[in-house]
Amino acid sequence: MNHSASPGTGQPRRLRPEHRRFALVTLLPGLSLLILLSLIASVGAINLAFQDRMLRFPDAAYVGLENFERLFRDRRFANALQVSAIWEVVTVVCTMLLAVLLAILLVEGVRSPRVRNAICILLIIPVLLPRVSAGLIWRFLYSPTMGAANYPLTMLGLPPIEFLSDPQIALYAVALVDIWQWGLFFGVVLAKLIETLPKEPQEAARLDHAGTLGVYWWVALPMLRGPIIMMTFVKAIESLRSFDLIYTMTAGGPGISTETLDLYAFQQGIGISGRISYASSLSVLLMVMTVIIFSILWKRAARWAA
Amino acid sequence: MRNRARQRWLDTAALGLTAVWLAAAPDAQAQATAEACAGKVPEVRVIVQPMPATGHLDTIKGEFEAKWQTKVEIVQYGENDRRSRSRLDASSGAGAYQVYYIDEANVAEFAASKWVLPLLDYLPKDYDYEGFLDARKAVAQWNGTPYFAPITGGGDMMIYRKDVFAEKGIAPPKTLDELKQAIAALHSPPEMYGWTARARRGSGMNVWRWTPFFRAEGGQWFQDGEASFNSEAAVKATETYKDLFQFAPPGATTNTWSEVVESFRAGQVAVIVESDPLALWMEDPEKSRVVGKVGFAPPPEPLPSAGYAHGLALSASGNPDDCSKLVSADFIGWATSSEMEHRRFEAGLFADFARKSSLEDPIFKEKVPAEYIQALAGTSPRTSLLIYDGPEWPEIGDFLGLVLEEVLTGTRDDIQLSLDEAAEYANDIMRRSQRQ
Repeated sequence: MNHSASPGTGQPRRLRPEHRRFALVTLLPGLSLLILLSLIASVGAINLAFQDRMLRFPDAAYVGLENFERLFRDRRFANALQVSAIWEVVTVVCTMLLAVLLAILLVEGVRSPRVRNAICILLIIPVLLPRVSAGLIWRFLYSPTMGAANYPLTMLGLPPIEFLSDPQIALYAVALVDIWQWGLFFGVVLAKLIETLPKEPQEAARLDHAGTLGVYWWVALPMLRGPIIMMTFVKAIESLRSFDLIYTMTAGGPGISTETLDLYAFQQGIGISGRISYASSLSVLLMVMTVIIFSILWKRAARWAA
Repeated sequence: MRNRARQRWLDTAALGLTAVWLAAAPDAQAQATAEACAGKVPEVRVIVQPMPATGHLDTIKGEFEAKWQTKVEIVQYGENDRRSRSRLDASSGAGAYQVYYIDEANVAEFAASKWVLPLLDYLPKDYDYEGFLDARKAVAQWNGTPYFAPITGGGDMMIYRKDVFAEKGIAPPKTLDELKQAIAALHSPPEMYGWTARARRGSGMNVWRWTPFFRAEGGQWFQDGEASFNSEAAVKATETYKDLFQFAPPGATTNTWSEVVESFRAGQVAVIVESDPLALWMEDPEKSRVVGKVGFAPPPEPLPSAGYAHGLALSASGNPDDCSKLVSADFIGWATSSEMEHRRFEAGLFADFARKSSLEDPIFKEKVPAEYIQALAGTSPRTSLLIYDGPEWPEIGDFLGLVLEEVLTGTRDDIQLSLDEAAEYANDIMRRSQRQ
């Protein structure tokens, strides 16, 4: 149902002038503050991006597009772009897949509401863990010599997997922690949403001999298209802020195999290098790309959700 | 005539009084300032990294708080975080910390940028700066001016499993070739791995441990104004360093120094070369499985010993007024005094020391293994600062560390090309630094 439409007409609902004024007056302070705060940071970053400011020196000069030119010659930037893209796709897709499967399993497999609620509480715990704590716990679990993740392999006499030291798998090993945190949480949210759906369409599908997966694929999940798209969006934005987890677990290594754009910007800016302007140019580019990509996706998602 | 004589007498008396007042004035002023400043500085914030000495300070800071009626907050961060946070605080002029924990890798950067104050101008008058070991003092200065009071430091030491060596009938190696042979002979995974070392990127991580191999090959950081750590010596050192990791436990190619220590303490590794204060961590009965089985010796020849020191420095932006400078400097004096080192020994903490008096301390002599003290004596003459000591070092060292990590983890296999890239990066940094 489109909540902005007049009931029964399908036309956008028009507010009366006094309601419009009221909406404007109540929204204005919050919006102004939001715009002001984001503008200060954005304008500051853009200004810095055109300078050669380094933490070690008190002065700085404007250098035009030099920082951006450097970025396009920088192999670490190209690598960070690729790593960020893989991270985004893997964490978002796998989180949503896990969430959907878990939600179906919870609703179909656990009939007692009390037991289901208890399981839901347990499943929410990972997302409540601070990312740094989750990262440290999993870093220990992944340890090839002492971690529990390798215990079954070593018991079988097989060589341990170097989860965080192997450049080929380190990114996916860290992504698994992100998926573990968010996939379980979203699974609970989806299960609760499924519980609120009217039963009749699903029962009708069952009468038509649809299997459990068919009922969900053709009936239940399409009814939840809007919330699922919103959750995907939230996860996509959350995945962009992966810094703390990756920093705790690998600090971008081995080599640069888990170095995302935000991590690289940190390391260039306030990490060791102190190249504030270069880091700002990276951030500005990231901001522009994010705004463009998310604007396109938002428009499409609005169409899919309608 | 009598008037002139009286005038002369008065002038002489006035001059004498002035001289007496001038002579007495600094002490009187200092005393007055000290009295006036008690209770006037609400907080002294100290950024440190977790070490036995800094943990001990946190437990007894109440004594200092009572003396100055000020609150002391000791904020702990891991090494890389501590460096970047203090750099950000200093460069932005935020002044959130009054005392910085700095080290050999960033003292030049902090001093050249005037982020820290020349320490001797502010330390208490009776403070014994000369009592520090010469190797610590040499690292704590920049351009001849001391900028931090050392709290810990040392050189390198070979730390090995006496029992494992004895079982195989192998004598502790005295040369690098012997070390390589011993590592290969003792390597019997998964029970025992021959060797491990720092591999995680960072000027204080893999670069620190790689540097003695580089210098042993005759490597120089710069020659004729150009970075030269892509020389043949550097390539050979990197090959040796990388080869040794075939004898390391799984996952060692991203090891930090603490993971190196933990591998050894867990009884997984036969021999390591590490900073000498860490050697005593192996004898901690609460955390080590190898207590009493550890041998200590100077690093095998021709490896030099990488000298370092960590200590406390006075923040320029964090101490804007005289009272703040006075109280913060007094904190540094209190925290790095010979009495404090003795108190740490009384508390059973022997790893962190920086003073000559500590080597003669009866508790130290009684509790610390004689073999360690003997190895320390053998290491000291070979200890010096092996890294490049310019303000550009943190950035250069960090990039070199990244390249080394890529080589060690197999992301890159062309060592020469990798080091060429690091050298080119360093040259670029040096060119940019000319603007000051």
